[in-house]
Amino acid sequence: MTRHDDGVTLPAAPSAGRIEIDGLAKRFGPLSVFEDINLTIGEREIVSIVGPSGCGKTTMLRCIDGLVKPDGGEVRIDGQRVTTPPRGVAVVFQHFGLFPWKTVFENVAYGLRLSGVPKKQIEASVLRHIELVGLAGFEKAYPYQLSGGMQQRTGLARALATEPQVLLMDEPFASIDAQTREILQFELLRIWESRPTSMVFVTHSIEEAVLMGDRVVVLRGRPSSIHEVIETGLPRPRTREVLSSPRFNEVREHVWSTLMQEAEQAERELQESR
Amino acid sequence: MSFDAGRRRSLSVSLLGLVLGAGIWEYVGRHTQKSSFASFSATVSALWHMTASGELPRALRSSLELFAAGLGIAIVIGFLLGLVMARIEIVRTGLEPYVAMLYATPMVALIPAILAMFGFEFRAKLIVVVMFGIWPVLINTLEGARSVNPELIEVAKSYRSKELQLWGHVIIPYTLPFTMTGVRQSIARCLIGMIASEFLLSANGLGNLILIYTQRFDTAHVLAAVLSITLLATLLMGIGRGLENYFARWKVGV
Amino acid sequence: MSAVPQSAPLVRPFVLNPGVRKLAIRIGTGILLLALWEGLVTWLAPSYVARPSGVARVLPRVVSSAEFRSDAKVTVVSVFEGLGIGVVLGVVVGLTMGRLRDVDALLRFYVSSFFAMPLIALVPVMTLWFGYTGTVRLVIVSFGAFLPVCLNVYDGTRKLPAQYVEVADSYHARWWNVWFGIALPASLPYLLAGFRLAAGRALVAAVIAEYLVSLKGLGYFILYDSRTFHQNEAAVAVIALALLGVAINSAAGFATRRLLPWYRPS
Ligand SMILES: Nc1ncnc2c1ncn2[C@@H]1O[C@H](COP(=O)(O)OP(=O)(O)OP(=O)(O)O)[C@@H](O)[C@H]1O
Ligand SMILES: [Mg+2]
Repeated sequence: MTRHDDGVTLPAAPSAGRIEIDGLAKRFGPLSVFEDINLTIGEREIVSIVGPSGCGKTTMLRCIDGLVKPDGGEVRIDGQRVTTPPRGVAVVFQHFGLFPWKTVFENVAYGLRLSGVPKKQIEASVLRHIELVGLAGFEKAYPYQLSGGMQQRTGLARALATEPQVLLMDEPFASIDAQTREILQFELLRIWESRPTSMVFVTHSIEEAVLMGDRVVVLRGRPSSIHEVIETGLPRPRTREVLSSPRFNEVREHVWSTLMQEAEQAERELQESR
Repeated sequence: MSFDAGRRRSLSVSLLGLVLGAGIWEYVGRHTQKSSFASFSATVSALWHMTASGELPRALRSSLELFAAGLGIAIVIGFLLGLVMARIEIVRTGLEPYVAMLYATPMVALIPAILAMFGFEFRAKLIVVVMFGIWPVLINTLEGARSVNPELIEVAKSYRSKELQLWGHVIIPYTLPFTMTGVRQSIARCLIGMIASEFLLSANGLGNLILIYTQRFDTAHVLAAVLSITLLATLLMGIGRGLENYFARWKVGV
Repeated sequence: MSAVPQSAPLVRPFVLNPGVRKLAIRIGTGILLLALWEGLVTWLAPSYVARPSGVARVLPRVVSSAEFRSDAKVTVVSVFEGLGIGVVLGVVVGLTMGRLRDVDALLRFYVSSFFAMPLIALVPVMTLWFGYTGTVRLVIVSFGAFLPVCLNVYDGTRKLPAQYVEVADSYHARWWNVWFGIALPASLPYLLAGFRLAAGRALVAAVIAEYLVSLKGLGYFILYDSRTFHQNEAAVAVIALALLGVAINSAAGFATRRLLPWYRPS
């Protein structure tokens, strides 16, 4: 990374790819979800993925984590072909996936417990990460006692607590109110600055995709494939000023119009089929 | 593994399990004394003999009469009492702890007292079966009728339903699936009551078959009787489950 | 009384505290039921039939007698032994069936058939296998407790939401983590519901075994005293069994609330 005099760090050029997605395809029975996905994600890079609902974003993350087997192509992380969930990769699930019988503390501790981290260390790390996502004081609460946003933050803390090198985020802020969402976005960016990882960030929000990503991947079509990869070219660390920069608006408009084309096309096809 | 392949595999493993079970039964039976454990083939042939001689059908009929009468009475009383308890608060408050207590009491403990009061003929046995079967119907009906959505009652009232129409259109249809869950549990309990009363009061029916052939150390016939009770129970439980699903058909997707 | 404001009614309407009212209704109903029992028996039944006044008269003597106490102890101990064995086996087999399709296919038929049938039908033939011994009671109680626990744990494990397993997988959970760390806690509510059924069946099985095998215990106490026209004494044992059933049930309810603070029945 190159440091400039104004304290702004330019994004690292996608260095040696940490995640390599090579000709990935997935089918469910007759349904072909996506085809021929090729993408390389650098060691300290955040790649946002946007696309219409049902286009296979979650399925793609599952393939990257080795939770489902692709029907074509492969995913390599650090050169290793992924078949089962690799170490150092953590997922923040769209469905939260909190265990209802565990408290916030125990849910956040889950990954660490499974990898046999000593008790003392677990406690320190868990408390730190609960604090980090702003849930201090809720350690003993059960998931049913939390709002959707708080549950999602617990899931985030659980993933961060394992200090992963790769973070796969599936709409992590989808069920969080607008203010908290903005706070958490910058919070996550701050955490990332202090501990940069490779991150795949799936979202429905175009603003969020542009704000978080070094690149924005737009999925389109049925079966979907990568329609376009847009370099955001925004400086890091990203602060609130980014949101009002001309570049941000430019990229946002671009992504928006790309997605709208698809929506219009779908509408046209629907009309023609009538 | 595709869905169908998985199903096929399960089916063949199930069949294998049945064959294996029968094989083990046969093997153990052939290698133990006949007076303590009969082989599968001996049991099946005993079952055939008892059926052909009319002994099993007679016993089955006698047991089923007791069972059906007991279950019927248990359902009627349990259902009505459950509804009354649900709609009349003072009755519910008063009776709830005693119902819970009777539900938790092993009803077999009351058989000697019933014997003392009612003798050991059909009437006494019927009381035993009813005492076994009434509680699940009652408790489930009560729970169902109490959980009727108040908004639905409001809707019915806003359409100026009379009390009777309210029951017919709202409360009873809503409650029946719960009652049927109770009926399924009651079927199992009435069967226990049936066998227990045949063991301990006047011996007839399937229970009697078990007792007399045990006394004769004729395990082939005992196991045949047990096997037919098992088949009967499985069949009755299947009917119970069918009823439950039928009455709950509107609940799908709720 | 000058302190009373003008508008206050002289006699306040009599409103019972709801808790007190509930208790009063329950006690009242209890007294009513006892009176009904006493009246009906006095009126209609032979004099040796149990009635509340008679039970009350013999209660202190029976409860303090060594015979009753040792009989009660035998039954309670064997019910708890059987429940323990049944629950442990039920959890293990239920989990295995829930997680392994082949084991499920292999055993489901047997477990559900034995669950549907009245197990007590096996007691007579079991005397041929185990003799007239306590083994019959232990086996039938354990088996009776095993079946509902096994089926309920199986059911709970089968209904385990796939997303929990997905999370576990993504954190490299091994199979035993999934079985005992995910599937078991997720089916604990089912286990406790099964345990209540198991307790009921265990009690019935124990009493029937004592009747038919003439085993020392509360069941035999009831049978013997009824046959010798000591119905009031027998009733004390019946009440003891009822209390045991209620106690086990309440313990299970208490455990549900204490052990499963996270559980929201839908
Ligand atoms: N296990 C499965 N079996 C069959 N079909 C599936 C399965 N999982 C996903 N699908 C289908 O694959 C497609 C892609 O699903 P996926 O969840 O990946 O979409 P998504 O892009 O994450 O959508 P959303 O934005 O709504 O989260 C959908 O049509 C879905 O119905
Ligand atoms: Mg998704």
